[in-house]
Amino acid sequence: MSELRDVAVVGGATVKFGVRAATWAELAQEAGAALFRAMPNLRAEDVDSLFVGAAEPERFAFQSHVAPLAAEQMGLKPWRILQRTELACASGQSAIRSAYAAIASGLSDLSVVVGVEKMNLPSMAEANTSMACVMDRAWDGAHGATAPPFFAMVAQRHMKEFGTSPDALVAVSEKNHRFANTNPHAQFHDKSFSAEKLRKLPMVAPPLRLGDCSSMTDGAASVVLCAAGRAREFTDRAAVVRGTGQYSEFHNLAHAGSLTDWTGMRLAAREAFRYADITPKQLDLAELHDCFSISEIVEYEALGLCPSGQGGRFVLDGRSDRGGEVVVNPRGGLLGCGHPLGATGVAQALEVFEQFTRKVPAARQVPDAEWALVHNLSGSANVHSIMIYQAAS
Amino acid sequence: MSAPEARRTQLPSEVRTTEDDRGPPEDRRPPFLLDFYPLEETAFTRLSRFYDRLKEGRLSTTRCRADGLLMWPPRVACPRCHGEEVDWVDLPMAGSLYAFSAVLAGAPLGMERDVPFSVGLVDLEGAPLRLFGRIVGKPWTELAIGERVEAEAFDVGDGRFFYRFRASTG
Repeated sequence: MSELRDVAVVGGATVKFGVRAATWAELAQEAGAALFRAMPNLRAEDVDSLFVGAAEPERFAFQSHVAPLAAEQMGLKPWRILQRTELACASGQSAIRSAYAAIASGLSDLSVVVGVEKMNLPSMAEANTSMACVMDRAWDGAHGATAPPFFAMVAQRHMKEFGTSPDALVAVSEKNHRFANTNPHAQFHDKSFSAEKLRKLPMVAPPLRLGDCSSMTDGAASVVLCAAGRAREFTDRAAVVRGTGQYSEFHNLAHAGSLTDWTGMRLAAREAFRYADITPKQLDLAELHDCFSISEIVEYEALGLCPSGQGGRFVLDGRSDRGGEVVVNPRGGLLGCGHPLGATGVAQALEVFEQFTRKVPAARQVPDAEWALVHNLSGSANVHSIMIYQAAS
Repeated sequence: MSAPEARRTQLPSEVRTTEDDRGPPEDRRPPFLLDFYPLEETAFTRLSRFYDRLKEGRLSTTRCRADGLLMWPPRVACPRCHGEEVDWVDLPMAGSLYAFSAVLAGAPLGMERDVPFSVGLVDLEGAPLRLFGRIVGKPWTELAIGERVEAEAFDVGDGRFFYRFRASTG
């Protein structure tokens, strides 16, 4: 990447995640207002490009052509690149990767990335219909496949192959909900989920209980990226993109292969670590895609934080908690914050920026964080997208 | 999962069974974009032979005539050699459960009445394919990894056909 410009995340903002009494467009307006409040030096007329992460506005909000809609809501008139990215659960990170590529290449100098998703509808069944469309609809979705039964099968196989215990799933969920209690923007900020309470929640897709599953969530978040050389216009400390990787493994469930060894994630991580020229051991924090508790366990292994099959042990021993070797999901994760598909990846990158700039509450601040990784999977772990950031002053 | 209380929504099955003035049954199919089952006729898909064979109780797929790749799902072009000549071949109906779970909540539109229902990945016996599908015949609490299941075809309710797997009750 030596011929490319260094790119930095220099600010951003998020709206309250949850079951929001607000439309898609209203969430985008809130995101714009929050962004300009958080970044007094950002002038709308300087923003040359806007990248909009949005997974299913056609389904959830009956709205297409959302990039110019978002631009108008946010008071922006981009003149270089205006585009919307859709990669299901990774739509937000996909938008960031596009902005990164645009700035690194010199096509854009100052880009805003916004992720917006409106998921809560009067009919839950209609919302679940939209989620089933993420699958290969005619061959998998038509059987009633949504995410919970797929990740439940991942958990079932992980338990069978490695003896992973239900307590390991509980440990992931308890940790991430506890972190969410420090994050006022999280959907479950005000709710406490003890291990004891989590063990008693109703089963959704066995062996997964309600507390193992991220929610249907409305939300929006934004970050601003620019060439690293001009980061000081906006902030004393920035999150510089040092590596990125992505791998598309399959789509139809017939091609999922091993449910417990996510080859696509291993390949995406290898690429990202090679670019960044660091090892997994150097990470101070990681925002991993915990759409389900079992996902985070498989992701520890695929990232190389622990050997195959040891992910359950890794969380039970506190190695991904505060004081552990890498703090995973200090923001509260998808489990604690909720998972507005297009906004999630953007909110994760924002957490990295706010950790690096010490803007998060002390209860979740990772001390002296220098290296951070953000991972999103999409669909049934078909695609893995990874970015690695380094704090720079 | 934390959505407001679900509003009563008209289910396709209700649309099909309610006697009223909404016209003949063929007009009562749910709108295509809220209906999971594909349009199976030759006017809409080049894979209508899959559904024709399903009506005869046969599960089938395509094999690439050039490089012999057995595909799933059936396709009109080979993903490996990109040849466009394919042959239709029958698949084994028997298989064993590689993994399974059940939908106890959060079913899509038109499937709410099926809850609880089981789904699983099935290794076909004698073919290198692992297919996803509904598992019927037993409650999920009585299923086990490795269990033998048999593919079967069924009418989705309006003349279109789909497939599922049945666990033996024995």
